Formats: sequence, structure tokens, C-alpha cells
Amino acid sequence: MAAILEVENLSKKFGEFEAVKGVSFAVEEGEVFGLLGPNGAGKTTTISMLTGVLPPSAGAARVGGYDIRAEMHEAKKINGLVPQDLALYPTLSARANLNFFGRIYGLQGKDLKERVSDVLRIVSLTERADQRIETFSGGMKRRVNIAAGLVHQPRLLFLDEPTVGVDPQSRNHIFESVQRLNRERGMSIIYTSHYMEEVELLCSRVAIIDEGRIIALDTIKNLIALLGGGVINVGLTRANEALLAQLAALPAVKEAALISQPLAPPPGEGAEPKERPASASGVTVKIVAEHSQQAVVNVIGFLNGRDITLTSLEILEPNLESVFLHLTGKKLRE
Amino acid sequence: MNAVTIALKDLQIFFKDRGAVVQLVALPLIFIVVFSGALAAIGSEAEEDTRIPLPVVDLDGGTGAQAFLDELERAGGVAVTLVAQETAATDLDERRIARFLTIPADFTGKLDGGEQITLRLTNHPDAPPEETEAVRLVIAGAAQDLSLENQILASLRQMGEMNAGIPEENQIFTPERAMAQARSQFERSKTTPLIAVKETVPAKPDGRASELDEPVQLAVPGFTVLFVFLTAQTTARSIYDEKKVGSFRRLLAAPVSKAALLAGKVLPGFIIALIQTLVIFAFGMFGMRLLGLTPLHLGSDPLAVLIVAVAMALCTSCLGIVIAAIAQTENQIGGLSSLILWGAGILGGTFIPLFILESVMGPVIKIVPHYWANHAFNNLLARGLTLGDVVTDLLALGVFSLVFFAIGLWKFDFD
Repeated sequence: MAAILEVENLSKKFGEFEAVKGVSFAVEEGEVFGLLGPNGAGKTTTISMLTGVLPPSAGAARVGGYDIRAEMHEAKKINGLVPQDLALYPTLSARANLNFFGRIYGLQGKDLKERVSDVLRIVSLTERADQRIETFSGGMKRRVNIAAGLVHQPRLLFLDEPTVGVDPQSRNHIFESVQRLNRERGMSIIYTSHYMEEVELLCSRVAIIDEGRIIALDTIKNLIALLGGGVINVGLTRANEALLAQLAALPAVKEAALISQPLAPPPGEGAEPKERPASASGVTVKIVAEHSQQAVVNVIGFLNGRDITLTSLEILEPNLESVFLHLTGKKLRE
Repeated sequence: MNAVTIALKDLQIFFKDRGAVVQLVALPLIFIVVFSGALAAIGSEAEEDTRIPLPVVDLDGGTGAQAFLDELERAGGVAVTLVAQETAATDLDERRIARFLTIPADFTGKLDGGEQITLRLTNHPDAPPEETEAVRLVIAGAAQDLSLENQILASLRQMGEMNAGIPEENQIFTPERAMAQARSQFERSKTTPLIAVKETVPAKPDGRASELDEPVQLAVPGFTVLFVFLTAQTTARSIYDEKKVGSFRRLLAAPVSKAALLAGKVLPGFIIALIQTLVIFAFGMFGMRLLGLTPLHLGSDPLAVLIVAVAMALCTSCLGIVIAAIAQTENQIGGLSSLILWGAGILGGTFIPLFILESVMGPVIKIVPHYWANHAFNNLLARGLTLGDVVTDLLALGVFSLVFFAIGLWKFDFD
């Protein structure tokens, strides 16, 4: 299938600060592609460059075959943007807002009327179309916000955190709309979020972005497979390289590593391995398991046999959240 | 096309905001009524006589001149006072009087002899034109009546003298002939009156306007300028709101050029400014009359008034972009607008007549666009000047618009 979006080494600098550091990815026609990352990771800046809101500092991208530097005007006709903010005019009605955004994309007369009616149906707001936006609930505003990005029937829709501040009912409605647009109309969608559940539900492939870089890009299944059967965080009073190697060699364990604390330096020849000095809180060892329950049993048995005190135990189910934690050492919502 | 779409949307939003409409359109009307009404009340308390004063220099002093003065009094509308020639000239120079009439030294002799006489009406350059026209009509009417009377009397006297030595049965001037002669003289007096009125306007002494004579001619353009420039704040706030809610990003992501986007944000301010001017001037002309106050008159060149209004509307729209480009927060927009728009408005003579401000502050008041708009309106409305006399004002407003637009483009943060 042809790519509707190709991004190569795209960067954006604001003065000395580099918000996006050479991201590269491609989105297939008809695909729902996720950009997952915490707040400030560079998701919105990346989208802003691809939609013509911000000029890129370096790199290239093609939208529907149009170069975003040389042919942005054409690329904009293919794109649809649903920004994170409620980019609507609150004193105007939903219909007046949609009419305006339709006209901006060149729609007029009967076409405009039909398109506005269509998108109002998609977001289930036909009944309240002539009421002012300011009288709507947060969820309804979000739905109009999405409708405004759809009114000109874009081939590629950018949904930037579309469920922020939305009640569960509207959230589900948005999910259904996204799935229907993709399934029934073949619309390609780039969905950014810091909610891994949303990305898992909607997207076929995901790019995990952190501090302006894409740190992983694959199908959700493959990304989760990075963690095998899950992650176990084990709190210990002490640890050294030899202990980590022994833990990693246990059955059902894939790898073991210290979390965000420097390891004790490797011992010199003939010398005893030095242990990392115990602190009040001890150390945390991250164990990637092939099968989490079996790995827990094996790890506890091993530690008891060596008289090493276990101070805490956390079992993380394999999902994008734990993938992100595994890759960055941070939680998505941090 | 996109600029028009954006502008129409902004106008739709503006007219839904009743507070903004009241501030920009209704508030100036209240200011005008209060200002004009208060000054008019002061004026009426000082002088009950509503007739137009007409100082007369009588160089003749004869019976003919007295007959003419009696005719003027009978005609009404003017309050005749006799003054010395030197006094009249000095008073006119110093703007204590708007005009004076001179009756020539040989008035009575020429009147009796049926010779052509010319009366001279000397007007100050700043004399209200419609008042001058009213005075001229009164003088012309009185002169025509006296001309007719004298021409008919002279011809009848002539016929009487010719008949004097002729026997009654041979007399050629029958009553029918006398009537025909009288009718002929009557018709002649219409086309070639014995007494003609010639108007003169001495060289402009110092350009002082007659605004204080007619407060409405000061209040309407003054408050129009003040409140029209306040629309710059509306333009700035509209741009700020668009950025704040994120719709600006959405517009940047749409196939709309930055020039069209800016034009779309400027256009509503321009249209609102023109609507404001239209409403305020219409109120000045018709509403003031309904309220029993002196109405606004558009001077002798209404087209020039329209051109100044357009130039002013353009200038205020461009100023809006500058404020939007400089101010980063809503508070800054409010603060900057108050400083620039009210401060510049006061400096530009919207509250205090320009000639008073100029005498107190000197040429510094010319640094604000309000001055030039106000100056142009004063020239056209209060002093009865025409388009050629406000070219400098229009150029200044044009230069301000260009500079504002250039600064706006330079400093405007599209990101």
C-alpha cells in the first residue's frame, strides 16, 4: 500500500531548544497511526510541521506526494487538523463554525450544506447544530472540534490529543467516530495521545516519542513483545553485576538491570565483585520476564537462597505503558 | 476570497457581542449628545436672540441707506448693528464677528438716480457657510424689494414729469401705459436689480475654526475619531482570541495564505470603523435634530468627508495589527489599547479643540494619527473647506497606515 505520509529526519528548533530531533516515519494510506509520548515529547510540534502551522528547521516530509516545504498549499488541501485546543468560535453555533471552516477549504452552496450535515451526523450533533458552542458540554465541544477537521473530507486526518478533558461517554463516541472514519471512508489518521489505552485500541502501528526523538516504532503487538511476558521491579537492599547476571540467567527471565542508579563498577581481576552500597531505600532491579508469574517465583526463591532481603515487588503487565517505562525509565504521565 | 470569509465570520462574532457594539457605536452618541447639549445650553443661556448678527458699516448715512436698513430689519433673520469701518475690520480679523456688510458712500444718490449700486458682504474664512448663505439671502431679498420699489417709483415719477406740460386730452401716459411700465420695471428688477450684493472673503488670518460656535461640529468628528480608533482594540483582541482558542492554528493549517489571513483580520475592523462613522454622522445629522439640538452639517464637500472616513478606517485597522503583534497577553492588549487609543485620542484633539491643544502643546500633537483625522474633519465640517485642503491630512493618515501595517507584518507572530 502507498504511503500517504513520509517523514525524514524532521527537526524543529526554537532558539537553542530542539523540540523535535530528526524524526522519521511513514504512514500508509488507510492506516491509523499512533504517536505516543508524554506531554512535551514533541508530538504537537511534529504535527504542526506536517500541517503547515510551523516551518521545519531541518528534514523533509511529503504529504500525499506533496513536499511540505515547496508544495504546502497543496498538502494542506489533503490534510485535516483537529488541534488539541477547542479551536472553535464559542459565540457561533456548531453549524456556523462548520460552515466557516468548510468555506475556508473552498466548499460552497449545496456541497457545503451536505458536508456540514454529514459531519454533524458523524459526531451525532445534528439536533444541536444551531445552538451556540458555548452552551455545549466539554465532550460535545470536542466532537464539534473533530467535525471541523472533517468537513472538507481530508485524506489524512491529524487528531492531536482529541480526548483531553472529555467524559467517558464522549470519549467512547470519539473512538467510534475514528474507527468508522477509517473503516468506512478509508481515511488515514494520525492519532497523538499520552493515553496508551487509546493508542492500543485505535492504532495499528505506533511511534513512541520522547524528548523529541522516536524511540520505538512498530505494531503494538511487536512493541509489547519487547517486554515478553511483562516486567517485574524488585526492590533489594544490595546488588552488583554478578547478581544481575545470575537473575538474568534464571528460568522465565529475559533480562535484569538496575533502574536509574549506577551499577557498582566491575571487580578487578581476582578481586571480589563490589556490591552497590545499600542506601535507606536500597536498589531497584528491573526484570524483563518471558512469563511473569513463573519469573516471580524463581526470583524470590533465588533471593531467599542467598539471604538477600526483598524490600518491594511490582509486577507490570505487558502493555504500551510498560514498554514506555522499559524504554525511557519514565511513566507516560510524568 | 478567504479574507472575505474570515472577515464575515469576525463581523458575525462582533455583532453578537452586544457589549462591544455598545462601546463602539452607542457610547460615542451619548458623548456627543452630552457634549453638544451642554455647550449649546451654555450658549442659549448667554444669548436669547437667535437671529444671525449682521454688523453694518454705513458709509452713506442717507435716507436711502436708512430705508435699506429698515428693509433688512423687516425681513428678519438678522440682527443689524451699525459699526465703524475700522472696528468691523478688526473684529473680523480677530474672529469676534463672522461677517459685516458695507453700504457704499453714494448709496442714496445712486438709488435716487436709478444707478447700479453694489453692497459688499465681507465674510470671515471660517464663517459657517450655511449661515453666510442665509445672511446673503436676507440681504438680497431686502435689496431686491428696495430696488423694485425705487425702480417703479422712478419710472412713475418720470412719466409724471413727462405728462406735466401736456394738456390732459393729449397726455400719452394713460393708466394702462403706467401699469405696463410698472410691470416692465418689476420684471427688470428680477434680472438686473438696482442693488447687487458682492461677497468677499479676506485672506485667511490664522486658520482658527469656528468649532466653538457650533459644538456639534467639534463633538461629532472628535468622538467619531476617538471611537473609530478604538476599533483597533477590537482587531487586536480578535487576533488574540483566535490565537488563544487555537483557531488561528487551524486557519494556518488550512490552505489560506498568511496575507489573506491578515487581510481577513484587518477587514472587519475597517468595515466596523466605516459603519461606526456612518452611524455617528447620521445621528449627528438627524438624531441631534430630533433631540432638539443643533444638527451636524457635512460642510461643502461631503465626498471629501467620506474619503477621510475611509483613510481613518484603514489606519485604525492597521493599528490593530500592531497592537496584536506587540501585546502578548489579554492584559497587555487592554493596557496598550488604553494607553495608545485614549492617550492618543486626547492628544489628537478628540476632547479639546485642536487650536487650543496646539497653542498649549505645540506640534507634538501631530505625532498621533487621531490629530490628522480630526484636523481633516475640522477643515471639512467646521471650516467649510474642500478635498484639496485636506490632502496633507490624508497623506499623513496613509503614511501612518503603511507604517502600522509594515510594523504589524514585521512583528506579527504567526507561530
